Amino acid sequence: MTGRAAKATGVNDTFAIETFNLTKIFDGCLAVDGIDLAIKKGELFALLGPNGAGKTTTINMLCCLLKPTGGTARVMGYDINQEPYKIKEVIGVSPQETTLSERLNALENLNLIGRLHGISPRKLKTWSKLMLETMGLAERARDQVRKFSGGMKRRLNIALALIHNPQILFLDEPTLGLDPQARRAVRQYIARLNGDKTILLTTHYMDEADFLADRVGIMDEGKIAALGTSVELKTEMLATHTMVVQAWNLTQKVVNDMRSRYTQVAVDKGSMTISDQRLDFKEIVDQLHAAGAVVRSAHIKEPTLEDVFLKITGKGLRE
Amino acid sequence: MRFWQLSLRSFKETYRDPLALGFLLAFPLMFMLLFGAAFGGDTAPSYTIGVIDEDQTTVSQSFVSEALASVPTIEITTFTETNTALEQLELGDLRAYIVLPEGFGEQVLLSWQDGEADIALNITYDESDLMASEQIIASINTATRAFARIEIPVTINANPINIETEITNIDYIAPGIIIFGLLIMIPTSARIMLRDKENRFLSRLLTTPTRPWEFISSYSLSLVAIAITQIIVFILLGWLFGMDIVGSILLAFLIFLLTAICSIGVGMVIASLTKSENQGESLSWLFSMPLAIVSGVWFSVEFMPSYIQTLAHAFPFSHAVDAARAVITRGVGLEAVSGDLVFLAGWAAGIFILGTILFGRTMRS
Repeated sequence: MTGRAAKATGVNDTFAIETFNLTKIFDGCLAVDGIDLAIKKGELFALLGPNGAGKTTTINMLCCLLKPTGGTARVMGYDINQEPYKIKEVIGVSPQETTLSERLNALENLNLIGRLHGISPRKLKTWSKLMLETMGLAERARDQVRKFSGGMKRRLNIALALIHNPQILFLDEPTLGLDPQARRAVRQYIARLNGDKTILLTTHYMDEADFLADRVGIMDEGKIAALGTSVELKTEMLATHTMVVQAWNLTQKVVNDMRSRYTQVAVDKGSMTISDQRLDFKEIVDQLHAAGAVVRSAHIKEPTLEDVFLKITGKGLRE
Repeated sequence: MRFWQLSLRSFKETYRDPLALGFLLAFPLMFMLLFGAAFGGDTAPSYTIGVIDEDQTTVSQSFVSEALASVPTIEITTFTETNTALEQLELGDLRAYIVLPEGFGEQVLLSWQDGEADIALNITYDESDLMASEQIIASINTATRAFARIEIPVTINANPINIETEITNIDYIAPGIIIFGLLIMIPTSARIMLRDKENRFLSRLLTTPTRPWEFISSYSLSLVAIAITQIIVFILLGWLFGMDIVGSILLAFLIFLLTAICSIGVGMVIASLTKSENQGESLSWLFSMPLAIVSGVWFSVEFMPSYIQTLAHAFPFSHAVDAARAVITRGVGLEAVSGDLVFLAGWAAGIFILGTILFGRTMRS
């Protein structure tokens, strides 16, 4: 046990999840590289990262579906190596893939998972009804899951994670593959849970993390590359400002003129993106006018989490 | 050339699953090796024969200890009472017993001196296995002629016994066929768990606080229900084809049920060790088919070499075949098959403990 891992013996009531040098190696390939993370009770924490960054492996270790190669973690005070069944009693998991029994109907799936978590049939009846209504599946409650669309399966997948009213919710890409309407409904539901439950969410969607998460961790190559609130992370980007201008007559002369003044100038189909450490909105518009361009619209672009990720890792989130 | 592209895909998928490919190649190889080992060469079966020496002369004693003991196809057990030997024959522990009548030694001495004598032996045998009976009589005849140094066959007073009823082919074959049907529960059991593994539903179930033993028992319970239905159907079909259950039907049912539980347990172990339905099914067949052969489902185990017999007896299915045949064809009771039942129950318990341990290990990998 490492020095950090040794800390796991002391229980901290503030945190729902704590990891101590948590490491996973698959056949010599380092999937999770000694991460140290602390998620407070009631916090909605989003773990971002490209495919293969180690997000799902981290979740699987925290849900006791995978044994760590090194280090450890505590979930609601229980050690993942020592007390996996205690942890399973307090967590709800919505895996990335839809994991449903196709031959059971929606209600039967919910009842099965609920009963396995020890929920009484009476409570289950009420909760299942509520859950199916929330997820917009009430009318299809008695249909076999194999007849469901991908979106319906995904919603039921989330419902299964919630049926036993867990203290901690692991949502691995919960909105992946949903149509915009369903995605909005799921997001709103997750937002409603915020504060009531501790939620660890992994997602590809930056806006989702931005909208939902209290804090964001950016994972890359098995490591936590950046950690903080969305605002904190984006503030780090404020050292560089970006202005986007839509204009007519963006001639080569205009582009050359702007490039001589600012660090980065890119032009694409009547749109010019200017980046520099200091930007003055009025000054740029005047400079463009003076150079012969006709400005139709202009705005200072807010940095996004995608920008943060690009800056930190040098690659896009979907790579 | 779409078909070609699809064929190529299938070929690549098979080629890239080395374990499944290995099983595919190993399956026929294993069959050939097993059949070769079981029935190839000059392997002779070994039957347990009782001997009652009523003559009690030096000649009769040396006939037993030298002539009969050197016959490779038989193993001799001596008895003093005919009744005891008959009891053992009825229980199925003996295939036959020979009575050396008074004057046997005298007749042999005559034959040694003059070359002419009237040598007679009384053989009582279980006629439920006609092939074995004929072989036993022929072997004893040859051994006696060689010992007495005569060329003509000795007089064998054959006394076939049919303990309770007339045994038909179906009586002898049906128990083996039923056991074979229950052996096929191995791939079925493995498939049910592996389907959950492959479609990821098992990973959902693993996020609940369910313990390994609960998983194994839940899978098994549903399979036991299937097995019970299967056994009832098998017995009914056997009955329709003329199978006559001489002994207790409940005892036969218990033997079949324990066999089914053993098969299910083996299936659970295989499912815990493999990752895909393909792998699990191949391994299940690789295991169950050779086991069916060496367990005496189709051919008597006694025809196989001793090391194959030892291997067969390490598994529960040969015990199940023996016990089921004894109950169905000879009508023996609980006491006679209690050893086999204890072995079956012990094996069932052991395989379930092993399955639970293995499943527990794979739960977090």
